[in-house]
Amino acid sequence: MKKCAIYSSIAALMASTVAASAQELNVLTWEGYSDDSFIAAFSEASGCQVNATYVGSNDDFAPKLAAGGGVYDLITPSIDTTQLMIDAGFVEPIDTSKISEWDNIYPKFLNQDGIQEGGDYYGMPYTWGSIPFMYRNDKFETPPTSLASLFSSDLEGRISLWDDKSALYVAARMAGNMDIYNMSDADLEAAQAKLIEQKPLVRKYWATAGELVDLYAGGEVWISNTWGGYQSALLAEQGIEVTEFIPEEGAEGWMDSWMIVKGSPNQDCAYKFLNMQISEQGQCGVANVNGYSVANPVAAKACMSAEQFSALHQDDPDYLDSLLLWQPLGERLEAYTNAWNAVKAQ
Amino acid sequence: MAHSRIARHSSKLVLGIPILWIVLFMLVPYGVLLTYSFWLKKYPLFVPAFQFGNYWTLMTDPQYIKVLLRTLKISALVSIASLLLAYPFAYYLVFRLKNPTVRLVLFMAVIAPLWVSYLLRAYVWKTILGTEGILNSFLMSIRLIDEPSGIFLYNQFAMVLTLTYIFIPFMVMPIYTALEKIPRSFSEASADLGMGPIQTFLKVTLPLSLPGVVAGFTMTFCLSFGDFIAPFLVGGPDGQLVANVMASQFGAALNWPLGSALAVVMLFIVLSIISLSDWFEQTGKVEL
Repeated sequence: MKKCAIYSSIAALMASTVAASAQELNVLTWEGYSDDSFIAAFSEASGCQVNATYVGSNDDFAPKLAAGGGVYDLITPSIDTTQLMIDAGFVEPIDTSKISEWDNIYPKFLNQDGIQEGGDYYGMPYTWGSIPFMYRNDKFETPPTSLASLFSSDLEGRISLWDDKSALYVAARMAGNMDIYNMSDADLEAAQAKLIEQKPLVRKYWATAGELVDLYAGGEVWISNTWGGYQSALLAEQGIEVTEFIPEEGAEGWMDSWMIVKGSPNQDCAYKFLNMQISEQGQCGVANVNGYSVANPVAAKACMSAEQFSALHQDDPDYLDSLLLWQPLGERLEAYTNAWNAVKAQ
Repeated sequence: MAHSRIARHSSKLVLGIPILWIVLFMLVPYGVLLTYSFWLKKYPLFVPAFQFGNYWTLMTDPQYIKVLLRTLKISALVSIASLLLAYPFAYYLVFRLKNPTVRLVLFMAVIAPLWVSYLLRAYVWKTILGTEGILNSFLMSIRLIDEPSGIFLYNQFAMVLTLTYIFIPFMVMPIYTALEKIPRSFSEASADLGMGPIQTFLKVTLPLSLPGVVAGFTMTFCLSFGDFIAPFLVGGPDGQLVANVMASQFGAALNWPLGSALAVVMLFIVLSIISLSDWFEQTGKVEL
């Protein structure tokens, strides 16, 4: 009898945890994408509690999901990583008919191969921006305009680059190769050699947004690439003036999409969440927190001031087209990561 | 009857728990690691296989050998620096310091940082060595330099310094214990036989304390060998260590098979070092 009571209380306990988790959303995402400033109102209205875990890089999604699923409901990889999520079977198709503002999303984003497969959409475009370069205003008399500054010995020990395969993109463009997502082995070798040559000039490869901010704030670094709008705003808060610029050699663009993890039990909350994120509430919410451009220009127009709308290039399709939007590298990913690892090992 | 049954079961329990522990927390994980190391990287993830390609890559691609040699060098430098600092310190505490309270306080001063978060201790060195850090401000205030220097941080020197600071307690503790065990009568006897203090140290104290030195050296070496925070926080572009490469194989490169092979190689190296030091300790042992 006593045993029976114990078992039934254990069963009750388990049932209550399961019930609780049905009303919970666990999101694996970038800082700011699940910020309290707009998520609190969502939780209140929908009854879905949102728990966020943050990633520092697109490379964090696959290892976390490969280590065993069942933990996360939603993820936000960038357009160079979405295809990998689909191919690895980590995500499930999105029922776009349940997303009321789906058709308001920029057609350019909906046309990306990386978020669809076999006629189904697996990703809902959310935010976008560039990977511009950034310098400290007080250290430059003539503002830099070219990538050449990052390879100039005048700035020895003052240069930083993102610890990411995108360093190879920078080196390739420096050499005049704009086809950065289809590099051959020879191209990669040339980029690798260029980066090894640059290495003595580099103070540190930055790995997280916070690290880059510290490097600028501590006077260690004067010029680097950055996530457009994000670190510069954090530095401005500390009173350090920096300027972002798109170099003559062009800049990469990125676009992040929400994806539903395969087998997520919280479908109801997940769709409520996606609808909120693509509406004015989510689009202006994230734009205000991170300073990123958003994927739904109709919502953006409705909730942004005219200045913010144009500052974020929401009305400027030419700007978007000028960026080299990240592409999935597929089987070439290994060759790219290997080349970048070889630079770092040197 | 009931008593003996309990006794029989409890003896099983006493033996069973450690065995279960070893199986669950050592053999199974290492077995998984070893299995993975024979798998094959194949987009999008990796597939089961039995082949030695991952080990072959480690041996033939120069980037892995280079990082391995660098890690061995850094670990050796950290161990040597720790030894040079820790031995005189422990010697002073045991043989020269007469006041036991002061001895205890000084000993604790070395051990206490172990209770502070590792990350915090490594982070502190950033604020000391940075371009606008404490060291540069000090050197500028005494007019030794005119403008801040970048030579203190983000290089191998900063890594050796930080790791030495972090791991030196593991050198002090065994040396202190070894020195403390040496009977004072030995050095008196040595003096009676006409040996000077230097000769006494070289012929009596040092050989008797060698097991402590070996134990300390092994520990600091192995701990530095597996470190990946110091390169991340205070290391520069040329500061990548084996553990960082391994982390990147399990993360960015999504090549768990190669990462596992690297882990197996690392495990082999560390076990070899431990066996070597064990052998060294056994042969050098003197019965007191």
